[in-house]
Amino acid sequence: MKVSYVTPLDLAVVVVIVTAALTLWRQSLVASLRALSLQGVGLGVVAMVLGAHRRDPVLVFVGVLVLLIKGAAIPRLISRVVARDHPGREGSPLINIPASLVGAGLLTLLAFGATRGLVALIATPAARLIPFGVATTLIGFFAMVVRRRAVSQIVGLLTIDNGIALTAFLATSGVPLVVELGVSLDVLLAVAVLRVLAGHLHRQFNIQDLDQLRDLHD
Amino acid sequence: MTRLLALTVVAGLAAIAWGALSSRARVPLSALALVVSSAGAATLAVRVLATGTNFAWSQTNVLPLGGLDVRLTPLGALFVLVSAVVAIASSVYWTGYARHAMAGRSASASFALFTLSLLVVPMAGNVTTFLFAWELMALSSLILVAHDHARRPESISAARWYAVMTQGGAGAITLALVGLAAHAHSTRFSAIATASTHLSGAVASTFFLFALAGFASKAGVVPLHVWLPKAHAEAPGPVSALMSGAMVNLGVYGIILVGRTLLPQGPQWWWLVVSLLGGTTAAVGALYAATSRDLKRLLAYSTSDNMGLVLLALGASGLSLSTQHPRVASLALATAMVLLVNHSLFKSTLFLGAGAVHAATGSRNMDELGGLSRLMPLTSVTFLVGALAVSAIPPLNGFTGEWLLFQSLLHSLASHDVASVVAGTLAVAAMALTGGLTIIAFVKAFGITFLGRGRTERALGAHEATFSMRVAQGALALACVATGVVPYLLVGVVARGLAGVASPSISGWATLRLSSLSGALTPLFLSGALLGALALVAGWRTLVQRRHGFANVATLEAWGSGRHHQSPQMQYTATSYGEPILRVFDDVLRPDRDLDVSHVVESRYYLERIRYRASNEDVIERFLYRPALALLRAWARRVRVLANGSVHRYLAYGLAALVVILVILK
Amino acid sequence: MKSTLLWSGIASLAQLIWLVLAGPLALGLMRKVRSVIEGRDGARVTQPLRDLRKLAARQRTRPTDATWIFSAAPLVLVASALVLGALSPLASLHVLMSSRVDVVAVLFVLLLGSVALLLSALDTGTAFAGMGSSRAAMVGAMTEPALLVAILAMSLGAGTSNLARLVDAGVATSTLAGPARILALVSFFIAVLAETGRLPVDNPATHLELTMIHEAMILEYAGPDLALITWGESMRLVLLVGLFSNLALPWGIATSVGALSLGVGLLALTLKVAVVAIGVSLFEVTTAKLRLFRVPELLAGAFLLGVLSVISAVALR
Repeated sequence: MKVSYVTPLDLAVVVVIVTAALTLWRQSLVASLRALSLQGVGLGVVAMVLGAHRRDPVLVFVGVLVLLIKGAAIPRLISRVVARDHPGREGSPLINIPASLVGAGLLTLLAFGATRGLVALIATPAARLIPFGVATTLIGFFAMVVRRRAVSQIVGLLTIDNGIALTAFLATSGVPLVVELGVSLDVLLAVAVLRVLAGHLHRQFNIQDLDQLRDLHD
Repeated sequence: MTRLLALTVVAGLAAIAWGALSSRARVPLSALALVVSSAGAATLAVRVLATGTNFAWSQTNVLPLGGLDVRLTPLGALFVLVSAVVAIASSVYWTGYARHAMAGRSASASFALFTLSLLVVPMAGNVTTFLFAWELMALSSLILVAHDHARRPESISAARWYAVMTQGGAGAITLALVGLAAHAHSTRFSAIATASTHLSGAVASTFFLFALAGFASKAGVVPLHVWLPKAHAEAPGPVSALMSGAMVNLGVYGIILVGRTLLPQGPQWWWLVVSLLGGTTAAVGALYAATSRDLKRLLAYSTSDNMGLVLLALGASGLSLSTQHPRVASLALATAMVLLVNHSLFKSTLFLGAGAVHAATGSRNMDELGGLSRLMPLTSVTFLVGALAVSAIPPLNGFTGEWLLFQSLLHSLASHDVASVVAGTLAVAAMALTGGLTIIAFVKAFGITFLGRGRTERALGAHEATFSMRVAQGALALACVATGVVPYLLVGVVARGLAGVASPSISGWATLRLSSLSGALTPLFLSGALLGALALVAGWRTLVQRRHGFANVATLEAWGSGRHHQSPQMQYTATSYGEPILRVFDDVLRPDRDLDVSHVVESRYYLERIRYRASNEDVIERFLYRPALALLRAWARRVRVLANGSVHRYLAYGLAALVVILVILK
Repeated sequence: MKSTLLWSGIASLAQLIWLVLAGPLALGLMRKVRSVIEGRDGARVTQPLRDLRKLAARQRTRPTDATWIFSAAPLVLVASALVLGALSPLASLHVLMSSRVDVVAVLFVLLLGSVALLLSALDTGTAFAGMGSSRAAMVGAMTEPALLVAILAMSLGAGTSNLARLVDAGVATSTLAGPARILALVSFFIAVLAETGRLPVDNPATHLELTMIHEAMILEYAGPDLALITWGESMRLVLLVGLFSNLALPWGIATSVGALSLGVGLLALTLKVAVVAIGVSLFEVTTAKLRLFRVPELLAGAFLLGVLSVISAVALR
């Protein structure tokens, strides 16, 4: 095990999970987006460090790409929506913040317990970090469950995606370039669509909370 | 040693008899006999602890199915000793308390019976004796909970809850123990333990779960705790001290008995379950303690909280044992016992104090109290000692327990086993959360009740407890201080009690050291240093005052934002003190709040009346028991068709049952 | 052996004297930094010491309904801080009883002081003090989990909760940047801010009763008692900041006995505490006080970081 690559890798992974927690922690959408962008950067760094360690230029390239798309492009896209037609705060979430943070802690613990076998199987320094990838996914899911705003939902979705990507990077020698590219572009597309939709909803029905969609049912 | 046993039983029976028969001097004589009985049991326990050998005695003709069988192991002796100490204090206290309540025949006899059964349960050497003593304990305490039903209708409801829960628990325990005995073809615990190696895993687990449910309900473990705050609060002072200081311990004793002695080869998940139960119990108990305004309810919830911590330690011990960390397992088991004994000492101090407050003011509602420390100086000091001890403030005994718990969890986390790590992390989180909440609960309990100004006439008319009550409270409070400053007094006894179960894990008089694990603490020197520093600072303050020529302290009216004559009603109450916690944990506690604003008819800008109502009933009772009870009631209504009052119909049922049985048995 | 004991006694005494002076001076420094940033000249750094002298020369007062608790609380607060100042490894690893003082003990001795203040507030029998006490108790109860979990995470790495050995383990390891450690330190730091009543949890400079937490509790104190409380609180601040900086950057602490290393240790400690204090006041200038019921969110976040730290300590070993 080379210390030289383990420490930066550990740190980058921890950045990803802490930013996932931050999206639950902060009510302000701007802060949430900043956390998301940091998360993308962390993910990119993970890929780059792993790529450098495995002498795999493609993986490094994927890392750079992830950094650009997830660290910069997507958050900027969403923040434009926020700046245009949303006030900067998440309304009161379905579960209050201390409780949801405790929930996030429990989910991390669960992820740790559930992936123990997998970690033991792979047994590389990178694989030790798999629990955090799974935990990030779970936290993203949890954020989608407890948050009301459309934008928060997108943030949760992206966190899920980042978690999956992180797990993939750590567990295998990295996702093939095409797949990663495809996924990233898919997400980009989804975000774009959601953005348009959210804008429409807002303009037509003056809706920001997804809970209010239930009213449209009648 | 047989004589000591005879002394215990004979004096105990004499106490019951005096309580039931004599009309004059009923209480003092009965209490005297109880003290003698408890002292006999304590001496017996100390002998067993000192020599480390079991004491056995049996009489087969008294009871069916194996007869009376006494077998006092060091572990049992530890529990007997604790029960005896609390029993002596409660009996002494009772002589004074009887002026206020609990002087009647049935109450006196039940109290004596209750005390005796508490002493006998841990002595039992076979299933029959155990269950016999256990039932006596349950029934006598039930009578005591309900004894004031004429004056207090609430106590009937409490007794009903208690009766159902305790009998349900006893049923589960009976099922488990009888099942084990049937398998072993013997009611003796030693035979059951030997035979348990041949028990299949699923069967053993079933028995364990039944026993766990029964014993956990006695120990006030969530979600089987609902009876505890009701019964502890309604029971008279000395009884609630005995219930909380001795009876709930026996639930833990039962879990150790079944999980460690009778079924020693249990799988790991048993202890994971125990840990999870412990964590939940600790958190729920602490939350309700921090938000309740009934003094004795608060203490009762705190009992749940403390039993949760004991289970956390017990669970950590079991988990470490199954992952081959015997040192950590021993440490955690010793921790569980230290926590348990500490709890008995400080909680009985507190319950006796609360009983004195109730006797003096007729109220347990802290919102009606206040300012009692001037009227009841000694009670207030003992209550303060108890409150600081339960909050784990050094140098009192609770602190040692908390420290040991932290050490146990820290070292159990060093394991590479997933279950241990997950349970350990949760346990630390639960322990940390309850620590803070307990401080709120007890700052509130002491501060609102004893400090400030009296809020009602009741509080202003209070008087100090009688001499015997003060003696009992003072002795227990002193024990809290002594075992806090020199924890080895307690740790040493616990180590002897665990001699057969676990290897010694903590040593040292002045400094507690963990054997072969890193960790040391010196409460003795720490308290010395604190006293020294206190003297230094006090000296400085006096000196400075004298140098500037001030002979006394100026007494001024407190600041009320510029308004004069603040009334005592303006003080923060227990309800308002706990309000922030209620708000923070809104999602968990789900309190009922209702704001009712009615406007004057002419204009909605003028208010006629604002009424605010808030209640914070146990969330588990509301969302688990109430729906279950409603379901049961609906079902019962449907079944009522079967019983229409016709005698012929009932006889027909009997005949049908007989026929069915005959057909089945052929 | 004898000389080791003597030297650890000297080290403890030196730390004690240092703490007594450093408390008020740190307060002065933080106020100075704040005023300089806000474009004022501000009082001298030594001003808090003068304030203490001025307060000490006044008569003690007590409200009509107060009991002995009211007059004992300031003593307990200061005594607990002094004991910790002498016994915890601030400037030297070799202080009295250093092998027997662990983080949990430090935490609970600090709690002794906090509880004394909470009770003294209820002792006055006024609404404001009760409110302050209730709020402070809530913040304290939310802080303790974060603090305890952070401590556990740090102890896990070293396999012990003994304070001297924890700091020593920090000296010994080359990499200070393990994720578990960083998370634990962040969590610890947030908890320290809350515990010592700094922004964004509490505003130490507020003069409005309704926004007060800590200040509302001590509203009734005057003269030497107020001096003791201010002093005690400042010592607690410096103590916690000192422990934090020793756990984060243990360099410079005396690992051997002797006058030189002790001197270096004190100097390093002063520097570290000054840097952190300046950092805290810079942070305070840029933040507003959180609403009271947002504070639990902050502390729950700190708690989560602590839990993450424990998990990463276990997962990444």
